[in-house]
Amino acid sequence: MAELTAFSFRAGKSLLYCLDPRFKLLFLILISLTSLKAGSWGMLFLSGGLLWLLPAARLSLFPVLRELRYFLLLLLVVFAARALAIPGDAVLTAKFMTLTRQGLFDGALVCWRLLLVVLLGLVLTATTRAAEMRAAVEWILKPIPLLPAKRIGTMMGLIMRFIPVILNQAKETAEAQRSRGVENRKNPVYRLTKLGIPLIRRTFENADRLIVAMESRCYCENRTGPELMSTRRDWAALLVVASLSFLMLFL
Amino acid sequence: MIVIENLSHRFSSGRLGIDGITLSISPGEFVVIAGPNGSGKTTFIRHLNGLLKPTAGRVLLDGINVTRDVVRARQMVGMVFQDADSQIVGETVYDDVAFGPENLSLGHAEIKERVAESLQAVGLTHLTDQRPHLLSGGEKRRLAVAGVLAMRPRVIIFDEPFSSLDYPGVQQVLRQIVSLHRSGHTILVTTHDLEKVIAHAGRLILLADGKIVRDGLPGDIIKDAERFGVRAPCASRLGLEVSSWLN
Repeated sequence: MAELTAFSFRAGKSLLYCLDPRFKLLFLILISLTSLKAGSWGMLFLSGGLLWLLPAARLSLFPVLRELRYFLLLLLVVFAARALAIPGDAVLTAKFMTLTRQGLFDGALVCWRLLLVVLLGLVLTATTRAAEMRAAVEWILKPIPLLPAKRIGTMMGLIMRFIPVILNQAKETAEAQRSRGVENRKNPVYRLTKLGIPLIRRTFENADRLIVAMESRCYCENRTGPELMSTRRDWAALLVVASLSFLMLFL
Repeated sequence: MIVIENLSHRFSSGRLGIDGITLSISPGEFVVIAGPNGSGKTTFIRHLNGLLKPTAGRVLLDGINVTRDVVRARQMVGMVFQDADSQIVGETVYDDVAFGPENLSLGHAEIKERVAESLQAVGLTHLTDQRPHLLSGGEKRRLAVAGVLAMRPRVIIFDEPFSSLDYPGVQQVLRQIVSLHRSGHTILVTTHDLEKVIAHAGRLILLADGKIVRDGLPGDIIKDAERFGVRAPCASRLGLEVSSWLN
């Protein structure tokens, strides 16, 4: 149940940790958009860059992939759907299904793109404190009228903090139910209901306690946020990322 | 310092949580508030920093009614809750301790100073960048204490601080409470388990059905505890002096 705990800040001292979070968000958006248009050489180039970034974010590829195993299953479904749905030269035909060369290529490329975007998001969250991320989101949302930027920022921070807690509770509840033989019930709806209802109830109870604890510490929306300061290093990094993104489009 | 006059609280269900509590607490006191589950301990302490509003009566902090200036009350009276997990809001230890000072709109230098000072006070400096859900039970309680200390309160209330802790965890938290008392803080501890803390308290208040049934020196009234649903420490049952869990 620790899958999503991969998306947590890990303290470190590499260049990635020193960059302004607004720039890092911009890089993520820029690279994600570029990957939509990039071909296989561009994707290879991007993957190489990402493999180089992972250690700088104190992440190792295989443990990360293991934690993302359910996401990889989802990618497998996407791959199968694309491979079967896109018309082209048949590679394999069985009954009413035809696997096409174009479908296989397109499915692999789409999955590759999705995986890269998720891994880039992982690098971003692993190298950026929640408070900095919150401040960056607040800064981006601030000019948009009618959007409560500070409130959205606080909610984001709380979600990041409480995902591991909720996952732990789900694990505890599931273990308690397994110890009472829930596995003998084959109906998945029944099992999901029995897991979901107590988990939701506990989550709401915790949310109530959290509100009281936050009030007790004088919570207000007009809080001191982290200092956001761009330096020459951020602008230089922007120049590098923008140039490489542009280059990727032609590879 | 804290004056409570005829304080009552009735819940929306109609049930009376506390009923006509009157007492005063002097600066530097170490008070244990004991009572069985449902006796009104938590309801009572939540009035001291304005988390609950009284149905009748009032709480005065240095002569000022809590309901008149809730932010002042919450700065002055820090509260460490029973469930540390739902009290910790930051994604790292540093972020969590900084939460209170940030809410007070303090400057960045002041926030950094307070966080460093609070983490040092609870001995968690080496875990500044750690994720809170990876801390042990005792460490989580100490982090909750650090979060409160960063607000620089004069009174600290601990709500069932020893629940779900193992022996080393209890010792860590108790050592922290005693050290805070020695450094001049007024301490209030609610518990239904006197054994762990009573050796350090200067005053014991027993609550039952939302009312104060005994209030005095622990040695004088501890013998009555079991009449009101609170187990007396083993030593006092045997007629011996209660010793500290820190020895």
